[in-house]
Amino acid sequence: MKELSLNILDITENSVKAGATLTEILLDETETTVCIVIRDNGCGMTEDILRSVTDPFYTTRTTRKVGMGLPLFKMEAEQTGGYVTVESKAASEFPEEHGTTVTALFYKSHLDYTPLGDLTATVTTLIQGHPDVDFLFEHRRTDGPTVSLDTRELRAVLEDVPLDSFDVICWIEGALREQYGNRSP
Amino acid sequence: MTVAGLLQHEAFSPVCLPDGEREICGVYIGDLLSWVMGRASAGNAWITIMSNINIVAVASLADTACILLAEGVTLSEEIVATANAKGINILASTLSAYELAVCLSRLL
Repeated sequence: MKELSLNILDITENSVKAGATLTEILLDETETTVCIVIRDNGCGMTEDILRSVTDPFYTTRTTRKVGMGLPLFKMEAEQTGGYVTVESKAASEFPEEHGTTVTALFYKSHLDYTPLGDLTATVTTLIQGHPDVDFLFEHRRTDGPTVSLDTRELRAVLEDVPLDSFDVICWIEGALREQYGNRSP
Repeated sequence: MTVAGLLQHEAFSPVCLPDGEREICGVYIGDLLSWVMGRASAGNAWITIMSNINIVAVASLADTACILLAEGVTLSEEIVATANAKGINILASTLSAYELAVCLSRLL
């Protein structure tokens, strides 16, 4: 994909589909690398399924035979000299503590590194599309302070106001853009 | 023209042809797989320099007539086996994507 933020959106959608009530999107940048962790408490996967998730001919969708989210993400990471790993605990085997963690490492100096893109738009889109589940977003940067947003904190303050109401979404977008140091146009 | 028909031209060599009688209808060139997935049309000959297993999946999703590997790109045996199993035609060439496109514009 043209931006890693689109891959993040795609993979986080898998977490929501897996019934996650909390999905953490954690980015940790150094001068040379960016580590992306997407961790959820969804239903997880058995080892059999886990082995096939980076196979492009595997998918959770029923409409087609191939699923490209993780295979493309893995390919993009490997093109920079990095990697993608997927760990998972299936709810059927671990009823207390289940979920999936996708970890990716990208080398930013590689010519084939895909830029991160508009993370504010990604996070805002996720919250707008799934106002009833929680997201923790945290981006540790080298060129500025850490950007973070936790919908659980927002929910505590907002009480009964839904997260996808127009004013809340605008506020979320503005708050993220402000933390990134660029105001929304 | 069919995919197998392209082999009459010296520029192309076969990698795998599980469905050689597939008719070619138009050409698409691109290496950003997510982009190709949404833009290549069914029946296109798709020119790329990518050699990851994902090209087989993209060709399958977009229902292209064949993959044309440009600039002497080669594939692992495992990828060729998957392409055969999934019915994906692949031809190779030492020509660049541009040269292949010029060649195809004369042939098709």
